[in-house]
Amino acid sequence: MTDHKSVSIVMIEDDEGHARLIEKNIRRAGILNAITHFTDGTTALDYLFNSEDGPQRNGPALVLLDLNLPDMSGTDILAKIKAADGPLRRTPVVVLTTTDDKVEIQRCYDLGCNVYITKPVNYESFATAIRQLGLFLSVIQVPDIEPKG
Amino acid sequence: MFKRFPLGFGVSEGRMGRFLVACMAMGFAALVAAGLAAAWSTAQNESHTRDVNHTYEVELAIGRARTLIEQSETARRGYVLTADPFYLYTYRKAMAQLPAKLERIATLTQDNPRQQRNIATLHALVDALAQQREQTIALTRNGNRERAVTLFQGESNARRMIILRAQSDAMVAEEQRLLAIRDAAQLASVRVFYATLAIAGLLLVLVAAATLLTVLRYTRDLATSRDALRDFAETLEEQVQERTADLTRANEEIQRFAYIVSHDLRSPLVNVMGFTAELESATTEIGALIDRAEATAPEIVTVDAWLAAREDLPEAIRFIRTSTQKMDRLINAILKLSREGRRVIAPQRLDVTAMVEAIAASLQTQIEARGATLVIDAPLPGLISDRLAIEQIFSNLIENAVKYLSPDRAGHIVVRGKTHGKRVTYEFEDNGRGIAPNDHQRVFDLFRRAGNQDQPGEGIGLAHVRALAYRLGGVIDVTSELGRGTTFRLNLPKIFVDPNTADTRETQR
Repeated sequence: MTDHKSVSIVMIEDDEGHARLIEKNIRRAGILNAITHFTDGTTALDYLFNSEDGPQRNGPALVLLDLNLPDMSGTDILAKIKAADGPLRRTPVVVLTTTDDKVEIQRCYDLGCNVYITKPVNYESFATAIRQLGLFLSVIQVPDIEPKG
Repeated sequence: MFKRFPLGFGVSEGRMGRFLVACMAMGFAALVAAGLAAAWSTAQNESHTRDVNHTYEVELAIGRARTLIEQSETARRGYVLTADPFYLYTYRKAMAQLPAKLERIATLTQDNPRQQRNIATLHALVDALAQQREQTIALTRNGNRERAVTLFQGESNARRMIILRAQSDAMVAEEQRLLAIRDAAQLASVRVFYATLAIAGLLLVLVAAATLLTVLRYTRDLATSRDALRDFAETLEEQVQERTADLTRANEEIQRFAYIVSHDLRSPLVNVMGFTAELESATTEIGALIDRAEATAPEIVTVDAWLAAREDLPEAIRFIRTSTQKMDRLINAILKLSREGRRVIAPQRLDVTAMVEAIAASLQTQIEARGATLVIDAPLPGLISDRLAIEQIFSNLIENAVKYLSPDRAGHIVVRGKTHGKRVTYEFEDNGRGIAPNDHQRVFDLFRRAGNQDQPGEGIGLAHVRALAYRLGGVIDVTSELGRGTTFRLNLPKIFVDPNTADTRETQR
């Protein structure tokens, strides 16, 4: 348990401002894990599944996912990560988006999303949400990737 | 998309009516002409019959006179031969009757100068004859019979008788000639009568035929236009359905658009708000720094720096905040509206009266605070529609009525409803402050409000109401007079039919 690799955070968010605000608040919450930021779905997926230092080959990760991406829908990425026989199906995914549509939220949970956070325009609640996420990050036990073979 | 239908008749109604009246008039004229011809012909016939009778009378009179002349001649001859007084008696008797008979002929033929001349000749002949007869009779009576016989033989008696007969024959012939003329006239008048009758009959047949043809053609045209109308009515329904489908599609598109726009607007707003907050915390830091600098080294604090940190920055941040908050409210309103439009409609039987009573109860404190009354013209017609949507429409309209009452007078709000066939109209009438005419359509637009902005609100309620009404296949409009009051009229289908399922049913059929 002690020698498990530290959890890296993969943030998929097309809005630079949002990404910056999220990062700031995560840091303020005292979370010091590495954050890798992607602004589009394609490179993010490539990193997740194929990169040398990506989570598939390098231990546990946590994905922060925005649903409105320029090249694909966040739900597609979610579906790929949570695919039944996929290597990353146990990776926790936090959906962090502006959509507060009930149907959309339902769909994300159906696809296997672990936490769904609506980005509030009210900054205080936004900051609070992120800090709570930080608390969440500090307590969750991210499972090891399955031993191969 | 809209077809044009021939609604005009082949024969225009007015023209056809005039034509029929003309035909009828002609028919009646022909009948009258036939009647007149018959009357005239009858009169002619009568006068002819009278003439014929007259001729026979004259002939009879002439015959009688002639018989008397012959009879008296025979009696005279008998007397001359036998001297028997019986013959004399017979002779006298016959001669006594003769003048009356002649007179009768004269009277009968008074209007005929030719017969008058004839009768005069006859008179002369008879007189001459009578004179000679008297001579022979006198001789016989005196016993000189031989002398009388000689006189009789010598006299031109026989010749005279022949002339007399010829004369009477001529008179008869004259009468016959007149009769022939009259017969010809009669025949001519009969011909005229038959001709008139034939023409009138022909006219009647023609008129009848023309009328019949016109009526048949008119009936055929009527049938054609009736069919056209029926087709038109059928396509009208289709057109309405098409239109409704178009509207629904457009509405859906707008909803989708609103949804996307509100989402995409929200994203930058998160940044603006977030970084404003960052800026604010930074300002606090800088403010503290200025404070410290003032305390330790007042000479480095310029007025500008102090103003920027203490006034300009907080003021700017405050304005950014209020603006972004307002923008957030507006975006949320659009989002709510679009979400409402995307909600699945679940039609069910609704007791509208109970619903309005519940809404009234929830607004009771506000109504009482304003000293107003709300009258529900129960029972309100029921609906089969979406409960939530109807509730929102009704409560929005009633809330508005309460909210915008006039402070000058006691508020009075009436809710009533009426069914027309397959649709229901609800009216929400108040005596509130009213809406100016050029704002009547504006009040239904999103974020638009009318009149004094003395009541809280974003200008969303009526836009929401209208979107919901459209969604339920209804319409809403307003009649209002500024300072007098407002009536909102909501027209809804009695039974909600989802246009999408209606479409599929249509194609399956």
